[in-house]
Amino acid sequence: MAKILGIDLGTTNSAMAIVEGGDPKILENVEGNRTTPSVVAMSKSNERLVGLLAKRQAITNPQNTIASVKRLIGRKFKDPEVQKDKKISSFEIREAADGGVEIKMGDKWHKPEEISAMVLGKLKKDAEEKLGESIEEAVITVPAYFDDSQRQATKNAGEIAGLKVRRIINEPTAAALAYGIDKQKDEKVVVYDFGGGTFDISVLEVGDNTVEVKATGGDTHLGGDDFDQLIMEHLIKEYRKQEGVDVSKDPLALQRLREAAERAKHELSTSVETEVNLPYITSDASGPKHFVMKLTRATIEELTKDLIDRSIDLVKEVVTSPTPRGAGLQLSDIDEILMVGGQTRMPMMREAVKELFGKEPHLGINPDEVVAVGAAIQAGILQGDVKDILLLDVTPLSLGIETLGGVFTKLIEKNTTIPTSKSQIFSTAADNQTSVEIHVLQGEREMATDSKTLGRFILDGLPPSPRGVPQVEVSFDIDANGILNVKAADKATGKSQSVRIEATTALSKEEIEKLKQEALEHASDDKAKRELVDVRNQGEALVYTAEKALKDAGDKIPGDVRKEIEDKINDLKGATKGEDAAKIKNASESLSSSLQKVGQILYKKDSGNSEGGEDEKTPKSE
Amino acid sequence: MPKEKDLKEDIEKLKGECEEYLNGWKRAKADLANYKKDELKRLEELVRFANEDIIRDLLNILDSFDLALQAMEKSGEVEKGVYLIQNQLEDLLRRRGLEKMDVQEGQLFDPSMHEAVMVTDGPDEKEGLIAEEIEKGYVLNGKVMRPAKVKVYKHQEK
Repeated sequence: MAKILGIDLGTTNSAMAIVEGGDPKILENVEGNRTTPSVVAMSKSNERLVGLLAKRQAITNPQNTIASVKRLIGRKFKDPEVQKDKKISSFEIREAADGGVEIKMGDKWHKPEEISAMVLGKLKKDAEEKLGESIEEAVITVPAYFDDSQRQATKNAGEIAGLKVRRIINEPTAAALAYGIDKQKDEKVVVYDFGGGTFDISVLEVGDNTVEVKATGGDTHLGGDDFDQLIMEHLIKEYRKQEGVDVSKDPLALQRLREAAERAKHELSTSVETEVNLPYITSDASGPKHFVMKLTRATIEELTKDLIDRSIDLVKEVVTSPTPRGAGLQLSDIDEILMVGGQTRMPMMREAVKELFGKEPHLGINPDEVVAVGAAIQAGILQGDVKDILLLDVTPLSLGIETLGGVFTKLIEKNTTIPTSKSQIFSTAADNQTSVEIHVLQGEREMATDSKTLGRFILDGLPPSPRGVPQVEVSFDIDANGILNVKAADKATGKSQSVRIEATTALSKEEIEKLKQEALEHASDDKAKRELVDVRNQGEALVYTAEKALKDAGDKIPGDVRKEIEDKINDLKGATKGEDAAKIKNASESLSSSLQKVGQILYKKDSGNSEGGEDEKTPKSE
Repeated sequence: MPKEKDLKEDIEKLKGECEEYLNGWKRAKADLANYKKDELKRLEELVRFANEDIIRDLLNILDSFDLALQAMEKSGEVEKGVYLIQNQLEDLLRRRGLEKMDVQEGQLFDPSMHEAVMVTDGPDEKEGLIAEEIEKGYVLNGKVMRPAKVKVYKHQEK
């Protein structure tokens, strides 16, 4: 089934996403970027450029480079917004026969929707390339304040681009969808959307799968780009003060500074101080000059405080003004706040919003992508997720067996999709051990005693051999119905035993949650206990190896070395009886280093017979 | 004794189920196979992306190196070793697939490789040609990593 593309058709940048395997995913364009500039141009050679390429040539060809067409789409030419934009546009616009707007690009006059269609067309083509399948339908977002005519024009743009527009949804609604708060009952939500060039506020009322826009507001000419500009101006001014050099006249210096200012802004969202370091920024009579300046978060906050204050005033106005100008609500009526747009990463902006409402705004989804993600979710809903014929279950808790020292060794981790199987080789803990007990456990704790016993059985008839030599393969198999089969087989004799456990999933949701919660609470205790057992097991294995080494080597070992090792064996034996993991560890290390002497001596005498130690987990002995 | 009609119905029903389950099984196997392929691709991309990230950060240092050498050349002899260090760095990056763009005055401006950051007055015949390279551009394994920032000739409209 063909996928429906979710598109955030923005004023400065656009993004697209798709639902794949139930999860929304942003699609990159062919240039490998997650957003595409909403810019279209006709080059001198009559080549149509869209996106990044159009943006790169903008200043060489301003009359034929169309940006921010979203400000014009679906509006009348006489609209004051249009008249305002006409003054600052680098391209020509005129009144169309129907009273709308027409834009000149190349030799032709285009409707704004035709220009938007070119952006949408690129997104469609790039998505098709990325997915390797054709895209015919889309969900496109628009600002909440768009009227019918603007929505219709956006829809037309989609159709011109060859997309059947399944739905036009509001940007703030898309954000709410992305955060999954559309299903909550009777909540009032503020969406604070600070984009690159526009600032939008929407007040939504969410209830039972419906989203109603109560009020909108903002500033169509306030955005993150203003922040970059202020920071750059500050850097230039400070440098002039410091060095007496004006770098704003030097194009390379300006270019490097612009990039550095943007980078610094991004860095200061996560750290409180950064250094702008641009060696050889310029030169004067005295020689080369470098640009080294510390920039703190406090500095950029001070520089941009006015912009943030302005946005907060606007929010207050939209929320509290009586209808129809505002939502006619108290600030305390607002239940949720969503932050959209890259600039909302700035900590002071988040703080200001938090302070205004006395509530934490929602974070977590990339603010540049949240609208496209929401559009994709809406697309996924319309698509009606492919009917899952096979509903696969998962094991709610981990399954495993008890091993040496009462440790719960997990074979199948919780949340593994079933049916599944897993096997692991275990061995014996003592010399001449002829049987092993398989104690099947379920739970999230580290020790067997804290876990739930599902069953136990004994595999006997193992041929007598030193510890660690027998190979017992324990396999777990859960079928689609949650029935667990545990089998233990001795590799040497082929003997096997098994048990069938029916009720692995017969726990109620509450029980499972309780068990998981317990595991969480005891996590650090359990870890310490588990560590102690591990250290003790290693210590005991070392004692065994050391005793065996002494016995095997016989009188090849000089008396003093033998005495030293025997003492240390006794120390370690004593330590393993205690509860002090560090003490066991020290004694082990000490014995281990002395033991190396035995190796050296034996190797000097003859370079034969050496014994490798085992580090295998061993089931509890009978 | 069940009626023949019932048995036939049963068979049809079972056939249907059989088909459904078989399809589901095939789908699951296919999903896994596809997932494995995707995962492999994703891992490759991840490694490449991680490399790209660090190379992108190194570009600024390459710029500084160029500028430093230019400044030193102006004020006198530059110790040969410094050039060798620059070569080492450039060699290392070249082996990873990084190439410096060759941008000349008079070359046609191409937005797929270049970004215009300034325009300058020029004669008619030079309209749309590059006047000067302002910041070097780089290509990594055939993909533009950073476009060359250029000044472009533009005949001022009458």
